[in-house]
Amino acid sequence: MTIRYEFVKREIAGEYFLVPIGNAAKKFTGMFAMNEVGAFIWDILPDAENDRAVVKRILEEYEVTPEAAEADVREFLDKLREMEIL
Amino acid sequence: MSAYLHSRGAALGLPISGTFELTARCNFNCRMCYVHQNGPDLAEKELTAAEWLEIGKTARDMGMVFLLLTGGEPLLRPDFPEIYTGLVKLGLIVSVNTNASLYNEKIRQTFLCYPPARINVSLYGGSEETYGRLCGNASFEKVVKNLRSMKEDGLQVKLNVSLTPYNAGDMKKIDAISREIGLQTKSTAYMYPPIRLTGKTGENAGRFTAEEAGRVMAEWDALRDPEEEFLRRAENFRQNRKAIEADECADANGTGEGIRCRAGRSAFWMTWDGRLMPCGTMPVEEDAPDVRREGFGTAWKRVREYAAAVRTPSACRGCPDRENCPACAAVCKCETGKFDEKPCYLCEMTRSRIRTVLRIADEMERNREK
Repeated sequence: MTIRYEFVKREIAGEYFLVPIGNAAKKFTGMFAMNEVGAFIWDILPDAENDRAVVKRILEEYEVTPEAAEADVREFLDKLREMEIL
Repeated sequence: MSAYLHSRGAALGLPISGTFELTARCNFNCRMCYVHQNGPDLAEKELTAAEWLEIGKTARDMGMVFLLLTGGEPLLRPDFPEIYTGLVKLGLIVSVNTNASLYNEKIRQTFLCYPPARINVSLYGGSEETYGRLCGNASFEKVVKNLRSMKEDGLQVKLNVSLTPYNAGDMKKIDAISREIGLQTKSTAYMYPPIRLTGKTGENAGRFTAEEAGRVMAEWDALRDPEEEFLRRAENFRQNRKAIEADECADANGTGEGIRCRAGRSAFWMTWDGRLMPCGTMPVEEDAPDVRREGFGTAWKRVREYAAAVRTPSACRGCPDRENCPACAAVCKCETGKFDEKPCYLCEMTRSRIRTVLRIADEMERNREK
């Protein structure tokens, strides 16, 4: 999947953030906070073909039901699409 | 987000925000400046671009999110675009202080590709004559042209205005420029003694007397604030004073408070030659940490220890104007040579400012009644 804007993922004091730079800094001000799962999804997005591939990786990484994984992935990716990041 | 991260940083000992003073050199020679120096070998003593980027990376790995690039005049460095871009790409939220006189197409393109969180431009007057008188460099038209260009390009710009005897006569012109271009503007007439340059406390040849400084600040507020806001400011001054007068814990004979701001708790300042400080307005002590020699981690630890030991004047705790006064640990040190000695210039300036604000507010209210 293609991330349309330039962000740097940061871990600060045990929390995860996306810092917009370059073209992203023109569109977004401030940072986005993410939880650990969000940070994991962010890292695998460029190599994932579609939403199902992301869910598959979540199930490999975390002990979670497929329903919960799907819901988490949908929520996170919907937000990114809403902001036209993805 | 910034307040939350700084609060977490202070609790965990993380350097959440920093200032890199890229150079002490400046193409201006402002009469009240506390940093700038001009000498033949200064550039050679500055940290190189590679050093700034390496230190930036270490500080980033330790938690730094917010970074201010300042000087002297940072745009004076030919390698400014390289340093700036490299630091932004580390995932830092970078702001830049500049006098805007050296802003050129190369820097413009750099900022268009990687927009700074904010460009803080010091505006020193409203004419070439004032710039010549205060800064020794008649760059007014150039600065205003560059301000317009930044604004038209959609960059975030803020004006900082230092009011001194050499430019306060231009207050209305400065206000008009700020309003016409549409810029957030902050002003003060308090000028720190340039203790880093002269070693002398309590003196700044380029500033007002305390009484004048307070009056000029109040006049600036009256010029800038909408009337309702100005009247609220006056009321806040009155209420703050009443609250402190009634505060039974305000013990003027007890121990002074520690540092109240972020300096040395979640923020640092690094000088052009690599010394780490809690704040850039404090004097650089002989044993101040040298990042090139000790590494950033050790230097930050020492800065935190230094800042934690600071106590401000006990007299300030019981002062009825405490909440209306900008005195801080650095101010005390620069004015008196000690962190815990009352900075009388500030006491007088604050009282003068309050008196003038209340007088102008009374006039406004009387005019309303008419």
